[in-house]
Amino acid sequence: MILKNLILDSGNYYTTDLNTKKKRFWDPNRSKICAGLKKGINMLPITTDSKVLYLGSAEGYTISYISDLADNGVVIGVDISPISTQKFYLLCKERNNLLPILASANEPDSYKHLIDFKVDLIIQDVAQKNQVEILKKNADVYLKEGGFVILSLKTTAISQGKTENIINKEVEKFGKDFNIVEKKRLDPFEKKHILIIGKKK
Amino acid sequence: MTINRELFFKEAQEKIKEELNTTDQKIILYSLISEKLPKNINELFEQIRIITDLKYPTLDQYLTIEEYCNFLLDNSLEKLNTDKKKEIEKIISGEISITFDQNEQKLVDNFSKNILDLIVLKNDLDQEISNLLKENYPNFYLIATPKIASKMLQISGSIKRLAKMPASTIQLLGSEKSFFKALKLSKNTPKYGVLYNHEILFDLNKKNKAKMARMIANKISIAVKSDLNKNNVSADLYEKIIRKKEELLNLQKK
Repeated sequence: MILKNLILDSGNYYTTDLNTKKKRFWDPNRSKICAGLKKGINMLPITTDSKVLYLGSAEGYTISYISDLADNGVVIGVDISPISTQKFYLLCKERNNLLPILASANEPDSYKHLIDFKVDLIIQDVAQKNQVEILKKNADVYLKEGGFVILSLKTTAISQGKTENIINKEVEKFGKDFNIVEKKRLDPFEKKHILIIGKKK
Repeated sequence: MTINRELFFKEAQEKIKEELNTTDQKIILYSLISEKLPKNINELFEQIRIITDLKYPTLDQYLTIEEYCNFLLDNSLEKLNTDKKKEIEKIISGEISITFDQNEQKLVDNFSKNILDLIVLKNDLDQEISNLLKENYPNFYLIATPKIASKMLQISGSIKRLAKMPASTIQLLGSEKSFFKALKLSKNTPKYGVLYNHEILFDLNKKNKAKMARMIANKISIAVKSDLNKNNVSADLYEKIIRKKEELLNLQKK
């Protein structure tokens, strides 16, 4: 895994900030992708000029680091809450590769007029009951052939049953549309979560 | 591939403004504040009494918070309309208490003004909530009463989501914790959530309260749906509720 802007320093991950070009600490307790890196994921499918669609951007903590990594590309954040999008909007004004959309990720057609191209990577961080379905809907519309997806699955959002059973069921669903590249439990950082990286069939 | 950054920002701006400016959002936010204010007022009242109990011991038994603070400001009994003036006069006479000097009196005055301001704020918020409900959702306002209507909006998120809920869910709004606990242990499920505080339920016994709660939940479900269609059905529904209540009260007497 060679990423220009990702720095590993004594066990912690840092990125080079887009605007100030300084080292910025990435907290694994607040970001599930960083937690996955700390747990030993071998590849993160981002390059400096990749186009990324991020579902569930919230106030924009994780997505700001993604925009550091893809500094020549485009990163688009989708969220449903107007109050957290207020904060995210201000962040987008500061960074020239970041764009906000206020819409429900459940209805991908509602922002089709804004995105008239295919993206390289979709990151899904919406904790909903139909998480895999949301990812599939968006991938059908926006993901290019052979593009990658990253899904951070929150099992307690799906049901209160045993974690292993839910993961097996959801991974099976996920496997119908995507080839699984890698999966990791995020245990000390996020309980009952799993990070799955896939490639479009 | 073309990206029009301006278009993204313009659209996000418009949508944020549109979604934050709805009446549902306003009612929810106002009722969140108005719910927590009484707790703050009571806490401040306990703190002011640490000082004023030295001058007027046990006066708080006879007066409400508002009357107490007003009395501290002007020191006159004329405005009060209680039937316990004799007891109050005994306390004020100062047989067993100290007197305040100028600085202390100033402190107490400022403190009680602050508490009175909070009380005015609470009343204004309540008035605003009930005005908003009355203008936009007249049926819902009459059948659920403003306090319970705003609480229901808070739990469900918006009037559209509330309209999609079945009546049995509306009956149990606010009792989610005990409901799922009862399901898990297979014991008796609760019969009412926030509806318990509805003024029609006050003088009924336990069994009839449950029956009445079901009736009101049914009518609320109809009222909310007709509010979205701009129909006025509340008078008819309200009459049915009153008739049902009289029936239940008659049964209770026997």
